[in-house]
Amino acid sequence: MIRREFFIDYSRCIGCRACVQACAECDTHRGNSMIHLETIERRDTLQTAPQICMHCDDPVCARVCPADAIKKTPDGVVQSSLKPRCIACSNCVVSCPFGVPKYMAEFEQMMKCDMCYDRSSIGKKPMCATVCPSGALTYTTMEEVQRTRPGIPVNSWKFGGEEVTTKVHVMVPRETTRVEIDLIQIQPTPQALPADPYDVALMLEMAQ
Amino acid sequence: MAKLPCPAPEIVQQYGPSLHTIPSGGWVRNPQDEHLVKTHCCFCGQQCGIQLRVNNNKVVGFEPWEDWPFNQGKLCPKGIKRYMQDEHPDRLTSPLERVEGKGFAPIGWDAALDRVASEIQRIQGKYGKDSFAVLTGASLVNEKAYLMGKFARVALQTANIDYNGRLCMVSSATASKKVFGIDRSANPWSDIVLADVILAAGANISETSPITTDYFWRARDRGAKIIIIDPRMTPIARNADLYIPVRSGGDIGIFNGMLHIMIQRGWIDHDFIAQHTTGFEEVARSVEKYTPEYAAKIAGVPPAMIIRAAELFGPAKTSFVLHAKGIEHHSKGVENCIAAMSLVLASGRIGREGCGYAMITGQGNGQGAREQGGKCDQLPGNRDISNPEHRKYIAEVWGVPEESIPQKGLSAIPLVEAIHEGKIKGLISICFNPIVSLPDANFTRAAFEKLEFYANIDFFLSETSRYADIVLAGSLMEEDEGTTTNTEGRVIRHRKAVLPPEGAREDWKIICDIARRLGHGDKFNFSGTEEIFNELRVATKGGVSDYFGITWDKIEKNNGVCWPCPTPEHPGTPRLYENGKFGHPDGKAHFIPVEWRPSAEMPDAEYPIILTTGRVVAHFLSGTQTRRIGALIDQTPQPLCEIHPQLATKLGIADGDYVKVESRRGSVVVHAMVVKTIRPDTVFIPWHWPLDRSANNLTVRAIDPQSFIPEYKICAVRVSKADAPHDAIASLEVQAGGVR
Amino acid sequence: MTPARNSLRQPRLSDATHAMFWGLATASLLILGILTGSRGLRDFDPALVSYAGAAVLSGFGIGYRYAMWLRRPPTRLYWYRGWQIFLAPQKLLSNLAHLARIAWNTIVLQRFIERRSHLRWTAHWFLAWGCILAAAVTFPLSFGWIRFETARTNQEIYRAFMFGIPLGSFHLGTPFAEMTFDILDIAAVMVLIGVFFALWRRGHDHGAWSVQQFSDDMLPLILLFAISTTGLFLTVSTHLMQGIYYGFLSQLHAVTVIFTLLYLPFGKFFHIFQRPAQIGVNFYKQAGASGPQARCHRCGQEFASRMHIDDLKSVQAALGIRYQLSNGLHYQDICAACRRKNLALTQDGLWKSYDNRLRGN
Repeated sequence: MIRREFFIDYSRCIGCRACVQACAECDTHRGNSMIHLETIERRDTLQTAPQICMHCDDPVCARVCPADAIKKTPDGVVQSSLKPRCIACSNCVVSCPFGVPKYMAEFEQMMKCDMCYDRSSIGKKPMCATVCPSGALTYTTMEEVQRTRPGIPVNSWKFGGEEVTTKVHVMVPRETTRVEIDLIQIQPTPQALPADPYDVALMLEMAQ
Repeated sequence: MAKLPCPAPEIVQQYGPSLHTIPSGGWVRNPQDEHLVKTHCCFCGQQCGIQLRVNNNKVVGFEPWEDWPFNQGKLCPKGIKRYMQDEHPDRLTSPLERVEGKGFAPIGWDAALDRVASEIQRIQGKYGKDSFAVLTGASLVNEKAYLMGKFARVALQTANIDYNGRLCMVSSATASKKVFGIDRSANPWSDIVLADVILAAGANISETSPITTDYFWRARDRGAKIIIIDPRMTPIARNADLYIPVRSGGDIGIFNGMLHIMIQRGWIDHDFIAQHTTGFEEVARSVEKYTPEYAAKIAGVPPAMIIRAAELFGPAKTSFVLHAKGIEHHSKGVENCIAAMSLVLASGRIGREGCGYAMITGQGNGQGAREQGGKCDQLPGNRDISNPEHRKYIAEVWGVPEESIPQKGLSAIPLVEAIHEGKIKGLISICFNPIVSLPDANFTRAAFEKLEFYANIDFFLSETSRYADIVLAGSLMEEDEGTTTNTEGRVIRHRKAVLPPEGAREDWKIICDIARRLGHGDKFNFSGTEEIFNELRVATKGGVSDYFGITWDKIEKNNGVCWPCPTPEHPGTPRLYENGKFGHPDGKAHFIPVEWRPSAEMPDAEYPIILTTGRVVAHFLSGTQTRRIGALIDQTPQPLCEIHPQLATKLGIADGDYVKVESRRGSVVVHAMVVKTIRPDTVFIPWHWPLDRSANNLTVRAIDPQSFIPEYKICAVRVSKADAPHDAIASLEVQAGGVR
Repeated sequence: MTPARNSLRQPRLSDATHAMFWGLATASLLILGILTGSRGLRDFDPALVSYAGAAVLSGFGIGYRYAMWLRRPPTRLYWYRGWQIFLAPQKLLSNLAHLARIAWNTIVLQRFIERRSHLRWTAHWFLAWGCILAAAVTFPLSFGWIRFETARTNQEIYRAFMFGIPLGSFHLGTPFAEMTFDILDIAAVMVLIGVFFALWRRGHDHGAWSVQQFSDDMLPLILLFAISTTGLFLTVSTHLMQGIYYGFLSQLHAVTVIFTLLYLPFGKFFHIFQRPAQIGVNFYKQAGASGPQARCHRCGQEFASRMHIDDLKSVQAALGIRYQLSNGLHYQDICAACRRKNLALTQDGLWKSYDNRLRGN
């Protein structure tokens, strides 16, 4: 089997929600979409971002789970909480550095992206990465990505002092070796986003 | 006779649109009980490959089809959820008869078909052949589109047949024919990836042809520059190298302005122009006055943007120009397209790898349907209905006297106007929801109320079906075999996944049954759609869109075949105009000068704001299919009016407020969505919804004099804050035209 | 509310020693219970000694495992917090009422499972109540806590004793008597129905079979199937086949039961002991919702209870998760949605500064 991996390139996303719709169609998800698609701030920009589980080497969600309910398969896929064990405390939901797990109130269980385990475990692509019309979500070989994309894939992260390595890669500019989250200004309010790079009125005035 | 039989909310209660949210058989699915049917998405002209999961004659899900070259498994939300229109509770499973004051009641097939035939005979006998019209659609497979054209000309002998491609592709088709000589995208999509510059005008690619996004980004990965021209910043524009927020209707300013600069700076291919084109001098003269300042004034953008566009596009080695409805839906739609094509010709970058031009088809079979005879002025094979030789050939294929074939009839808008005037008394329609999709909806409604008899073929009771005297329960794409021709001119196979539900029938059988009752059974004696296709092949033989060499088998083996394909040995023609050989008899492309002129209705003191309309990614056209799918309504439940904060502040409108948008023709009440991504002089409303949420209540009934396309992209409106509406229509579910 | 930090102090004993203590304590308690409950083994049935022995071993395992489980910082926190909130004197009464309500819904009816899937719920309900019924009879029997004997005056009358105290007597042949003697068969049939539904579901649900694991999902079903069928065979042998193969069958049955008892602390069945923690969490959430809420640093929206975020920070500290940001903020004060948005904005920022650098060169 060819070894394929998951790559996210947020900048390609067009917010069409094909991933969200397809995610629900996976046989392990049964109508529940596990992927997140964020609209950053619609008033200011069309920027959107998909977020699947990054499948950490040492998942924070599993570490903070009181019920020992979050398990990783031998191939490195972190699964939804085990139904018999999960006690619905949401520790994982608020602790995950990538904001991935979903608390499903109806089932009193945490569910999350399992990379469409029914598909990826037998060599098929996960649903979202198969349908994504923009290539923001891609499931392919490392060689293919290195050959065709201008950036490089990185799977090393730092959240404050916490270092995280993930199975899933994100596309970043060359020379980047790690994504450090506390580098970016965390905005206290949505109003304080950077000064309107996507304001059409401003474009029309500025270039005059 | 054709007023609504009872108030719309009562019809909605019985026939929907209601939402289908859980697949047939539930979410727990077992692939071992299922088989996969390789077919194509029914929404949009890209015709992505998709596999339907079928369990016991029920479509229960989908599976990406990664081996289909065009989309390689990629799909948009519509394609993913498309299967939810199968097993839908709203599905019509019997012909219906209008019952005054009550709505509709089921009626037997024989009674329904007899009634349709007798009404056709009565009306044509009383008012003449042309008093009975046919409206057909561009989401029909080629076989059905061909059959509808033949039905109108042979069984009804009416000149008045037109199709909803009239609302979609005709400007680019007309322009393409005039400039290049052939009505088709010039290149396969694979050439987009190899271009160094991509210019996309009036094309909200990420929402209306999402799969094309990947082609753009793959080109960008190679270093290509992307130029997007649109009054709204679309998702793809956000990451473009140059985004030009053109004022709706100002596109010629940009194209002519760019050409002006390209000529001035010598970024044109003189050899190519000399060898392969005519009329350049005249065009060069016509753009002389389009200095960046003059052009910018027309386009409503800073001159620097036009200069930058010329700088990116002009000197490039390879380039690709695409456009869609944004420049086509204008009363000068054809001229807009011609101006864009002039850039292609002047640069000489067409007919080779990475160099070309494409029009993005909106409807499922937008390309194919107009070639097969659904258009009022065309016979199969893109033949001209007023050309005696063309008429003669088709008359022979059909086995009818040439003089029995009617001449050119009315196009969609004049046809509806003729209904309004009482000149057309009867109508049969299929695959068309004009009550939602035509401009000036109040006029359309008034027109339909005047019909003496209206028969409608549909699988759901659409907003237009509600006006029908007889509704014939037809079939979905996945319930019949057939072919479509995608946006690349590639003929592909739609496969039958399931049988129509009991009580519904395949559309082609319904048409043939009516023809039989009208005494033309011998001309409609088909045993299946493949037989229709084989007749179509002969009918298109020697035409511009020559399908003669294409068989279903060959399509299967080659993953589709691009026309022209004149002989069985011919591999098809993915790329047109190679070696500078164009479609005109002189083998050359024809430059045509175009001058900007104002749109039919410009903003004024009374209606000071420009309204432009368009689509959202979750819905398809008039929404009669997608507004019945729960997941798609969840994604986009109702239309929102996009408005810039500057304008909103001036009008005292905040995000989420109810706003009333009024034009000289009607109004809608919707929520405002305050966004900085639209021009401050323009508001936008998507048009997929009916009744008081229909953007087409506002749009202007003006058409392009050459293509007869309506001007959906610009009219004048005023916008004001409104109170929450509480009337019966507003209280409907959002998918039916209510508001939340 | 006292800080939970105390409960997360570095424990003095090593985890294994601590757990060993609790394992031994549980086992000892069980032995003590057997000794006293059977009135100094007077009521103890020596034929069932292997079952009792296995139960004691299993008790050791469960005690050990439970103690180990409670040593994990997040578990320990919920354990302390759960009791703390539950036992708060001013709320104890209403808490007891609430406890009864959730216990009814989650433990008796198992509504949350029903919402996951009706089939799953049906299977689980039969399995759970079949097992509970069987356990309610077999454990007291094998511990010598209950005992039956024929009345001295009438062979047709049976008398039942619990802890040596007479519970009453009943006539053979009455429906009640039949019920009592067949109760294990009824339980076995319930379990088999549950096993059937569970297997049918796994066989027809592509999603379920693709994530299932033999040891976690199939082995428990196999064990329950084995216990139930061998148990039923015993009845068949007694009543229909004049006791043929009875000895062999009873040994086989004992083997399946003992294996299952020993598997109890380690496999999927351990959830029986973990599950009640859900009730503690329920109280925790309720207390959190009525207290102050944490607001996200980025968007200003409430996203969890203040108590939960503060507790999580101490749990994270105990686990060595270092979420302090360099600008004095704590990553735990940012809501999940903003974390996701941040990731995209960060990537955007990386590309922008990269492009600017290129342009600068």
